[in-house]
Amino acid sequence: MDDVFHGDLIYLFAFAVAGLGFALGPFVVVYLLAPRGTRQAANKSRQAIECGMDPIGDAWIRYSAVYYLYALVFVAFAVDVLYLIPVALVYNDPQFVAGDFIEMALFVGILSLVIVYAWKKGIFEWKRNQTSPNS
Amino acid sequence: MEAQPDLTQLVKDCSPIVRFGLLDDWLALARANSLWPLTFGLACCAIEMMAAGASRFDLARFGAEVFRPSPRQADVMIVAGTINKKMAGAVKTLYDQMPEPKWVIAMGNCAISGGPFVFPGQYAVVEGVGKLFPVDVFVPGCPPRPEALIEGILKLEEKLTGKRRWPTVKPE
Repeated sequence: MDDVFHGDLIYLFAFAVAGLGFALGPFVVVYLLAPRGTRQAANKSRQAIECGMDPIGDAWIRYSAVYYLYALVFVAFAVDVLYLIPVALVYNDPQFVAGDFIEMALFVGILSLVIVYAWKKGIFEWKRNQTSPNS
Repeated sequence: MEAQPDLTQLVKDCSPIVRFGLLDDWLALARANSLWPLTFGLACCAIEMMAAGASRFDLARFGAEVFRPSPRQADVMIVAGTINKKMAGAVKTLYDQMPEPKWVIAMGNCAISGGPFVFPGQYAVVEGVGKLFPVDVFVPGCPPRPEALIEGILKLEEKLTGKRRWPTVKPE
């Protein structure tokens, strides 16, 4: 019993080490085999813009995220569809009858009220947030 | 007056820490037959470069047709045309942004030495891309024909692998 336990521990340890090696090994190999740096004529290797011209201003600017509520509602309904997949899979079974259809309709119907709610809150309108100074 | 290139940076050894002879040979063969040039032309030589890439002269036969829009993906910089002093900074930046290993082909007389723009008192043109960074292959001509550029790329392949894979054309 104890031997089995220790054998399992060794397996666990070996797999953990192998997993770690699989994750970190490529970094080591790349470090050893990759060229060290690149020849420079103007020391601009790390300039973000790749057309040769010097960039104007900073890339870290603030911009309006008007769309995010819409995207959140989309995600909610994507998950909703996920819940419907098992229903769709077993639906051909004869033991599922009209009652189950009504249950599913209720489920989807209650979730659909989210659209009404979101619509009422006005998230489908393209309106910039007036409180944000940089929008 | 003119800013000289920082030679300590240009002669820097960028070779990897660990090298395998056979792996290097295989990599050289792979690189030589899939040279990716940087898409950029400076002057009229670029027209010939475009012709070399298009269907009639078809650089794709030698694996060098993948003109990359980003220097980070390119192996070869084909300097096709006159380098103005105003443009030199941009060319140097593009050279910097190309990852090692990288090669440079100076295409046409302007890129080699300034070409017809060399005269006493000229102030606008860099007299040869060799003044900015090291050049591997010079392709003379004003402009060179597409065949000449293809020959330049074959010369570069020769430089990479140490042997020529294609027959040499004897001038008639």
